[in-house]
Amino acid sequence: MSGLPISRRGLLAGSALLLASTALPAIGRAQTPKKGGRLIVAADSEPRNLNPAIVASNGVFFISSKVVETLAEASFDGKDGLQPRLALSWEGSADGRSVTFKLRDGVKWHDGKPFTSADVAFSALQVWKPLQNLGRTVFKDLEAVDTPDKLTAVFKFAKPTPFQLIRNALPALSSVVPKHVYEMGKIEDNPANNAPVGTGPFKFAEYKAGQYYRLARNDAYWDKDEPYLDEIVYQVLPDRTSAAAALEAEEIQLAAFSAVPLADLDRISKVPGLKVITKGYEGLTYQLVVEINHRRKELADLKVRQAIAHAIDKDFVVKTIFLGYAATATGPVPKNDPQFYTADVPIYPFDVAKANELLDEAGYKRADDGKRFALKLLPAPYFNETKQFGDYLRQALAVIGIDAQIVNNDSAAHMKAVYTDHAFDLAVGPPVFRGDPAISTTILVQSGIPDGVPFSNQGGYKNADLDALIAKASETLDTSARTGLYKEFQKMVAADLPLINVAEWSFISVARDTVGNIANNPRWAVSNWADTFLAG
Amino acid sequence: MTRALTLLRRRLVGSVFVLLIVVIGSFLLLEAAPGDAVDAYIVSTGGDAGMIELLRHRWGLDQSELTRLANYLWALLHLDLGQSVTFSRPIRDVILERLPSTLILMGSATALSFGLGSALGIYAGARPGSFRDRFLSIGSLALYAVPGFWLGLVLIVVFAVDLRWLPIGGIETVASAKTGVARARDIAAHLVLPVSALGFIYLALYLRMMRAGMAEAWRQDFVLAARARGLPRRRIVLAHVARNALLPLVTMLGLQSAQMLGGSVVIESVFAVPGLGRLAQEAVAGRDTPLLLGIILVSAVLVIVINLLVDLAYAFLDPRVGAGEAVA
Amino acid sequence: MKRLHRFFQTPEAIAGALILALLVAIALAAPLLFPGDPQAIAGPALLPPLQNWSLPLGTDRLGRDVLAELFHGARTSLAVGLAAAAAALLVGAVVGTLAGFAGGLIDEVLMRITDAFQTVPSFLLALAFVSIVGPSLGVVIAAIALGAWTGPARVARAEVLSIRERDYVAGARVIGMHPLEIAFREVLPNALPPVLALSSVIVAAAILTEAALSFLGLGDPNRVTWGGMIAEGRTVLRTAPLLSIVPGIALVLTVLGVYLAGEGVVESTAVRRSLS
Repeated sequence: MSGLPISRRGLLAGSALLLASTALPAIGRAQTPKKGGRLIVAADSEPRNLNPAIVASNGVFFISSKVVETLAEASFDGKDGLQPRLALSWEGSADGRSVTFKLRDGVKWHDGKPFTSADVAFSALQVWKPLQNLGRTVFKDLEAVDTPDKLTAVFKFAKPTPFQLIRNALPALSSVVPKHVYEMGKIEDNPANNAPVGTGPFKFAEYKAGQYYRLARNDAYWDKDEPYLDEIVYQVLPDRTSAAAALEAEEIQLAAFSAVPLADLDRISKVPGLKVITKGYEGLTYQLVVEINHRRKELADLKVRQAIAHAIDKDFVVKTIFLGYAATATGPVPKNDPQFYTADVPIYPFDVAKANELLDEAGYKRADDGKRFALKLLPAPYFNETKQFGDYLRQALAVIGIDAQIVNNDSAAHMKAVYTDHAFDLAVGPPVFRGDPAISTTILVQSGIPDGVPFSNQGGYKNADLDALIAKASETLDTSARTGLYKEFQKMVAADLPLINVAEWSFISVARDTVGNIANNPRWAVSNWADTFLAG
Repeated sequence: MTRALTLLRRRLVGSVFVLLIVVIGSFLLLEAAPGDAVDAYIVSTGGDAGMIELLRHRWGLDQSELTRLANYLWALLHLDLGQSVTFSRPIRDVILERLPSTLILMGSATALSFGLGSALGIYAGARPGSFRDRFLSIGSLALYAVPGFWLGLVLIVVFAVDLRWLPIGGIETVASAKTGVARARDIAAHLVLPVSALGFIYLALYLRMMRAGMAEAWRQDFVLAARARGLPRRRIVLAHVARNALLPLVTMLGLQSAQMLGGSVVIESVFAVPGLGRLAQEAVAGRDTPLLLGIILVSAVLVIVINLLVDLAYAFLDPRVGAGEAVA
Repeated sequence: MKRLHRFFQTPEAIAGALILALLVAIALAAPLLFPGDPQAIAGPALLPPLQNWSLPLGTDRLGRDVLAELFHGARTSLAVGLAAAAAALLVGAVVGTLAGFAGGLIDEVLMRITDAFQTVPSFLLALAFVSIVGPSLGVVIAAIALGAWTGPARVARAEVLSIRERDYVAGARVIGMHPLEIAFREVLPNALPPVLALSSVIVAAAILTEAALSFLGLGDPNRVTWGGMIAEGRTVLRTAPLLSIVPGIALVLTVLGVYLAGEGVVESTAVRRSLS
């Protein structure tokens, strides 16, 4: 490896003049799928549990989704935004009590055993429902899974469950694990959680803590032509700036999930041989949200919340903090969601005079030092952007006379302070929209959630009308009626501001020109990469 | 030899107390932390109240602090470091996996700063007050004033990205399946930048100490005597002056060992070296109390052993021996 | 006066003193030249230096005035350095004096505790402490002091051991002074000079430690620090290198100044001693 880059660099330098004229054919060549090769990818964290059936999170999927497959994957052009994976078709009954999956034939686990409906039944009942972070909510009424034959699985629900919700949950929540590997002993302690066994295009090969994960080609993959790559190596690069350096030094070929800081993208897009890709994350939208502690009497006042909403210059946030790689938000459903989003909600344009007026009306006049009251602001430490927005929000609030003091915590302390101890007035959080408001969005404003549940309403907000609406939507089976209820939900949230949605963003990939078939589905970074290839 | 043994015995007894203080102190510090291992874990997953309770129970975090401390100490008596909650593996294995990287990084950096530092110190101290003396001493001080992480970032940009002479990070080329000499060379190439970043900073320490010791030694009687006897200057510098100035540097080696490990936290993170320093940072972030205790314990033992070796070396290199010979 | 004269004999000491004087001037002038919050957004983001004369060093990622941040950062860096060193020296001197003067079991216990702190890498300790208590200026200072007091404690103890048998101490015993009073009235002040000689090293180390903590995201978010500026600037290290180079140079100069001046003081007193 050490000798190679030099010779390649020499070649590049020698042909620099030629390059200018032959640039177009070079790009064309990169699009022809080619077999073989090792793709080296930057990984910024090392998930401890690699079982996506237990931990449905992007950090785990990034690695495990190539090994363990789901019943269906998200798609740009498929029906209902889905494409088949382990399931070929899915059909919900009219009463909302059952969903029938027809499974793919001829699929084998990595250890050679055949994949059957028993594996699906086991995964759903023994793993998703009792153990999975998201499945515990979505599959809570799942009672039984009938397996009339080896390739049919029928989910039976105790209470009517909207088929739309189950469908929307498939890409993230339906990772199927092998029954024969997990049926002995406790599922949580199974060694396969750290070295997953699945049906995917790649087999889990090795993990060196602090260094890399290696996945190797599954020669017995059900799609005979795929995968193209021989190997995927995830190189652990904990420092935020090292992914860009590694790409430039040609040590890695791909950095997903914005491992290259946004501020560096402009420069890196001009580096020859590298491309910046903004697509492929449409199904993974993060929301920049100001969480509000309604126990504070000032913040319990709608006028104050409206004032704060008016004080935030969303365009500035998108332009300066996200450098344009984001969209301003209007409410709790992101603009890019094709099913539920509505623009017909109350909006809060940036208006400092209006904000000041609202605060005066609420009775919080400026004291002699120009300040009205002080707040404790806790920006979530998980993203650079949430921290930067915290810095910005402090300044924006200072302008309208609210003195916000930032409290920086590390992840664990932030979790405890906000979601268990409620020791915050305002917090900046990055909840994820997962394709259906019922999966992880309504929980942000619903009341009656026990203390300590992360990414949920821990601000003490209580609105009986909103709770009723959420409850009604959760049992509405008709797709268009259900969608209508969630549009109503967006209006109510935007009107009463239990939290303030500021922006919606996704991630950016940077790759070498040689990497092909990137970003060809809305969850590309966390999909199976069976058709990804390396040219040249 | 008996002197060395007495020293050894006294040190070992003292060390047990020191280690006990370290363990209990660290445990209490970590227990005072807001948020536990479960809080740290669910950041990346989310989950409902039932799941959180389940995890707390599985990881034994629903027991009282005292029970956990007692359990930990009891296991420690049996030389068992316990189980890491974040890695779900025995802590001994996790630490042993990371120890070599840290040892080789710290060892090379120490060798670099000690070797180059004392050599330059001799060069500078050979003519106290000369231009080269001033230049080296201020130059090294300027290096000492550079934050290690900053030096690391600059080295990466210059040597790994722009010049591409060296790899940007890691301890070896990932999944390269190299063995033997090829692997050793690969590791060496990966070590150049982090070792430089860590080693150049501590260079000043040895350089200036050597130089100060030499300035002192020039005024000593035996050096004056040697000069009076008309010995060549080069010989006086090396055999008499430098030799006597070297001893405090050996003591410094012991004192610095703990600080090097601290400095390697940041360097390991910048250069993606899978070592103990980075593991410690992960353990703090993940609130993995037993893991952090294990790391602190191992590094404390390491520091104690190094200091013991330094003391033993010192006992052999008794300064009066050198002085006596010089006068004779 | 003579001593001052001796201090200014070496060019290094003069340079050190000049740097420190400049730094103190900057720190004092900061609120006058740049009143208001230095973290306020002053212009467009990432404005390059020397483009707009009201923002001579340009702006950072959020559009904050880099020069104002630099000036206010000097205050924090100095405050952290001095406060941490003062705390470390105070704790060290008290522990060292107690241990050296009391002897016996107290000495043994105190010195084992000192050993324990010395075996744990001080940066690791600071990192854990700040992560756990939460980063604010006071906590950062405490965390740095926590890893820095052992040196002064050892030096103070050694010095006290040599002083404690002197005549004036015996005299104080004879007239029936309380042992604690003897320790802190008679012994400590006399043991102090060599302890204080460590202060420049501790101040410099404290400034660097604060920077490293900020680099890892563990600085006080409500205050500008140079370390925090470097940490912020490194994401744009290649696009706007000055954002991290300028505070970096400020940091290096400050630490260098502290060292050089400190050395000048030590040398001038050493010369005086060897002369007397």
